[in-house]
Formats: sequence, structure tokens, C-alpha cells
Amino acid sequence: MEITRRHLLGSMAKGAATVFAAGGVSSVALADESRAKEKQEASQTAIAMLYDATLCVGCQSCVSACAQANNLTPDKRLDTLHQSPRDLSDTTKNVVKLYKPADGTPYSYIKQQCMHCVDPACAAACLFKALKKETGTGIVTWNPGLCVGCRYCQIVCSYHIPKFQWRGVNPRIVKCEFCKERLARGDDPACTSVCPTHAVVFGKRTSLLAEAKLRIAKSPGKYYEERVFGEREGGGTQVLYLTKASFEKLGLPKLGNEPIPAKYLKWQKRMYSYLLIPAALYAVIVSITRKSWNRHEEHLKEEEKATGLRPQL
Amino acid sequence: MSRAWERCVPVFDIPILTRPFVALCTLGAVACGLVLYREAAGLGAASGMNDAYAWGIWKTFNIMALTGLGSGGFSIGIATWLFGRRSLHSVMRTAVLSSFLIYASGLMLLGIDVGRPWNFLWILAPWRWNVHSPMLEVGFCMPLYTAVPLFLEATPPVLEWIHSRWPELESTAEMAESLLKRIYPWVLGLAFLLPAMHQSSLGALMLLAGNQVHPLWQTPWLPLLYVWAASFMGFAFVSVVLMVCHLVWNRSLDEDVLREMSRITAWLIATWLIFRFADLAMRGRLHLAVQISAPSALFWMEILLLLSAALMLAVASKRHNVRLAFQGSILAALGGLMYRFDPTTLAFQPRAGAFYFPTFIELLIDIGFLSLTVATFSLLAKVLPILPASTRLWRAMESARWNKSVLHPQQAEYTHYAAAD
Repeated sequence: MEITRRHLLGSMAKGAATVFAAGGVSSVALADESRAKEKQEASQTAIAMLYDATLCVGCQSCVSACAQANNLTPDKRLDTLHQSPRDLSDTTKNVVKLYKPADGTPYSYIKQQCMHCVDPACAAACLFKALKKETGTGIVTWNPGLCVGCRYCQIVCSYHIPKFQWRGVNPRIVKCEFCKERLARGDDPACTSVCPTHAVVFGKRTSLLAEAKLRIAKSPGKYYEERVFGEREGGGTQVLYLTKASFEKLGLPKLGNEPIPAKYLKWQKRMYSYLLIPAALYAVIVSITRKSWNRHEEHLKEEEKATGLRPQL
Repeated sequence: MSRAWERCVPVFDIPILTRPFVALCTLGAVACGLVLYREAAGLGAASGMNDAYAWGIWKTFNIMALTGLGSGGFSIGIATWLFGRRSLHSVMRTAVLSSFLIYASGLMLLGIDVGRPWNFLWILAPWRWNVHSPMLEVGFCMPLYTAVPLFLEATPPVLEWIHSRWPELESTAEMAESLLKRIYPWVLGLAFLLPAMHQSSLGALMLLAGNQVHPLWQTPWLPLLYVWAASFMGFAFVSVVLMVCHLVWNRSLDEDVLREMSRITAWLIATWLIFRFADLAMRGRLHLAVQISAPSALFWMEILLLLSAALMLAVASKRHNVRLAFQGSILAALGGLMYRFDPTTLAFQPRAGAFYFPTFIELLIDIGFLSLTVATFSLLAKVLPILPASTRLWRAMESARWNKSVLHPQQAEYTHYAAAD
């Protein structure tokens, strides 16, 4: 059987039509679902932290309270007497840094820990949902029984939060999990419960957002851009910031308001929804390979006749 | 005298145990020892990876870049089986074997790279899957492709070898062959679908890194550009492998087949380049390419490598110039490697002050695994009918074997027949 070019093109066109049809059906069927799913909203029960840098005195109480509550080895690399981590690491889930501008403008402290994004990139990236956004509270938790240690979460986190234990045979991902054990006992998170100036406070996200906006309204001109960082950044976070210095200078990245998973994985999700497109594509490919395989077998027989040698597949 | 590639013939006239082969195996053994050290001491002690550059060369080079070179089975297969380029059938075995070995070594390095490999068993539990993660797609699809379609595609030479060597296993080999024939079109379907999926998902991996990837590389079209690059890298690499093997083992080249490959590679690169510039222009990022900066220098290195590769391959296929085709293929492979490596490391900017360079151990493990790949290829090419040759060489091999076994049982050296071609 000879396959002409027209024949081949014809079957390919049919196949392409199938793929487009399947793609069309799937995108129509999933349009509502994906529109709903593509933009995650913070739930009414979501918990949050509000950190007001203008109130923070940099005492580092929250840093040691965090290490104590999470059984982390105190990081004393900079100062043998006191716990003074330079940055987040596999032994530090919460850190307070000082930003001191060279031009003499007022300095500011900044507290860093997991932002518990409303639509976290790490959870979208994670292979087996080891990093997962809890329903209700919205805490982004890590499950050692599911994590493969691929460190994709470290690649995708815009805030550089997840840290990996680079030593040992049972390495873990280390990051703030909102003191979930303390919350289960009815306590507040360690960092918010020890703050002497109430620079960081704990509560429902809705009420803390209202509180932050109230503070902005009460003191016009006090806060940077008169807005709360985390209300909408990257789809919103469950740690809210009020600062006097610019967010970028304090290490809070400029992200835009769209969450990264929704922004970048939109097409990936559509291509693979219910595997409709791959299945249609497979059907097309096999319809062509079956024909060319038949042609190949004919060819092998001819070759065997001509050479007298056993045909090679 | 016919130089056409009609039949795959083992490299029967060269001994297996040569000095380079032993050297490659030694490097492989050193790497295996170092792997034990990495497992005992942890990733930090063995590698240069850190919390900012959490992925090292095992992932960023061997998986993200090198599997592009291992896409010969995918892209040449598509040209052969879907677009009816019959003449390319002769190079499919070389393509499939090189793809299989590159994928296998990459997956082994991936196993060494991950921190908690025991949890990978959850891949068998679909209810645990995060179906929208590109990492899941890669982690599921790449091992599946290597273990099923690529493995099955690579078995016919082994079955032929069993058939010819062990008369008592003849009927078993024939049974396996006829079974394989029956499922072959479906296997081929998977062999084209799965790489299209995971090679594009490799690009999708970097999408989630958002603006940490330099805007000259970060684009929603990254998945398409990755799989497209894989297609020309596969063609270029298999051309290089064929030319190197035939040069080293002194066999004749089928210039018509090589010309066809050069021509297709040149077209694939040209369309890729046009698409890349069109994408940059549409996103309004072309001005970043004309600034004087490290990323723009990197960008132009990629473009120049690929542009010169496309031109050289186009000229080579017009003028029947094998030397130019060889050089062009090497440039195409290098350009493709660079493009696929850059967004993960050199054009990946997690934050100021972050730095990664592989440690000596990390490099030695990588080199060792690559050496094992090359050694295995040369071993299999000498034992199995992989490399294409003329029917005449096949007959020469058969008569040499017959002479050896019947007339001169002690004779170790074969007469060199390839030179007479």
C-alpha cells in the first residue's frame, strides 16, 4: 500500500481538526471552572499577621520565641552570646533585619517569614502537595511524608522563603508554618505573642486589613504609598505590612497583583485539563503511525526478497 | 561502490576493550564512589547548591539542557514515521539508543539530586498528584517515556542479537519480535506524545519562577521554545554522533541522509529563531537585547551560535559539504544547550549576591555519568546492529565471523573491510 502525500496530509488535517475540536470542547467546558479557579481569593476565616515597621524596635524577641516554639537550634554565627541570624535559613523561620539607608533617611526594621500567599506558587509547584494551603486558616504547611526534596519550591518562591537542610540524610524544608501546633492548642503564634510593642499582631485577615487601613487613614503621609503590602501583591498574602520606607528597599518585591500560578500556568492547565488534548493528539499520531508502519512492513518484505537477509525492524 | 546506509551493522572489527573505553569506565567508577559520599554527607557537602540557587548542574544541565540532545528519538522519529522521510529510518537506531542513554543517565542524576527520594513512590498514587504542577508532569512523563516507549524502541537490535547468537532462544526472540511488531505503532505514538509533553513542561518549570528569570528568556511561550529547541538539538546531536562514530571506527557516511538531516535542522533552527524574535518583539522586550549587559551578551551568544549553525547547515546541504555539516551540527547542539541551560542558571537571578558554581565533586559525578553513557554507547554499538552501513559490510561481517569460527579459530584480528567500501 502506497501512501501518497495527499493521503497523509488528509489524515493529518482530520487529526488536527479532532485536536482543535477537543481543545474547543475542553476550553468551553472548563471556562467557568478555570475562571473560578484561576483567581484564588482569601477566605473569610483566613488568619493573618500584621507587621507595622514603624512600631518595631528591633528587639528580636520574636526571633528567639520562634526558634524556641519550633525547636530550632539558635543561630549564633554572628554573635556567640546572642541569637542573631543574618537571614532565614534551615535553623531560622523568622528574622528581623535592619534597613539603614546611606542617605541618612530614617532607618527601618523589617520582619521576614513565610507570607502564606493567598495563591502560593510553592503549593502550585509541589509534586505531591507536600506544601499545601490549608482550607479555613490558609496556612501553607509542609508534610515530610510527601516531600521529594526536589527544591522546586525554592526556585518559584518570589520571597525566597522555603529553606532546605543541606546537611544530613533526611533533609527537610524549613519555613514558617504559622505555629500551627500552638494555634491548635489555642495559643497565638510565638512571634505575635511576645512582641512588646505590638508591632506584629495576630488575627483574622479581614479584621487586620481593616485595622491597617484605619492606621493609614489616621496618620496621612505616614505610611509608604498609603497602602498595605500584601492586600493584593501577587494575589494577596496573609502577612500584611505597613512601613514608612519603600517596600522594595525593605526586600518586599514588586510583583503585580496577579498571582504567579494563575498568570503563568493558565495555558499549562488548559492543555492538560482531563488530558483531553494529549489523548486527541495520541489518536492522531497513532492513526498516522499505523499507516506508515504498514508501509514499512511492505518495504521490509521487499528488502528481504532483494537481499536474502533477515529484515531489521 | 555504494555508500548508502541500508542496514545496521555492529562495529565488528574493533575490539571492545580499548584504552579510551577503560578510561571512561574508570571515570564512571569514581563517580559511583562519590555518589556514596553525597548520599552519606548530604547535598551541601557534595555540591555548590544553596538556598538561592537550589538547583545545580545535575538538574539544570543534565535534565533541562542535555535531554534536548537526547531528543533524537523524538524528532527524527517524527520526521521518519509521521512525515514519511524514509531515508532517515537508517539512523533511527542510533537516535533511539543515544536518547535512551542520555535520558537514563539524566534520571539517575535526578535520583541523586533529590533530597528525599523515598517519597517519590507516591508517583504510583494518583490521588497524591498535584496535577497542575509542571514538575509532576516531568516527574511522571520522563521516567515513563524512558522505561516504556524508548525502551521498547531500543529492543529490536537486542532481539536480533539474541536471535543470531543463541539458536536455542531463537523461537523466544521471534515471538517477542512478532509481539513487538503488533504493538509498535502504538509504542511509536507514545514515543512522540510523551517527549512533546515533558520537553515542553521543562520550559513550563521555569514559568513559575516568574520575574526571577530574565525577561529575554521568560515568556509564556517558553514551553514551545523548549520543545522546539529539543527537536533541532536531537537532529544535530544524532548527526554529530554518526559522524564521530563513523570517523573513529572508519566507516563510510551516507551523504544523502546527512544532507537531509542538515536541511531539516537548518529549517527547524530558522523557524525557531524567527519565533523567538517575534515573541520578544510582541512582548516589547527587544530593547533589552540591544543594551550592553551580561544577559544581552548571553542572548547574542545563543543567537549567533544558532544563526551560524543554521546558515552552515543550509550551505552544507546545498553543497554536499560533510565537514561544514559536522561543524554546523556542533554549533546547533551548543546553541540549543545554552538556550535551555541559561534560564535556569545564568539568566536566573534569584537575588543580589546569590552565587552558584558546581563543586569539584559535583562536576566529577556529572562527568562520570556522561563517561558511562559514552562507554555504554560504544559497547552496544560494537555488539548490536546500531550504526547504519551498507549491506556489503553486513556480508563482510558474516564472512569474517564464518572465517573465524571455521577456518581460523585462533585468528584474533579481522581484515578491515570498511576501507574497501
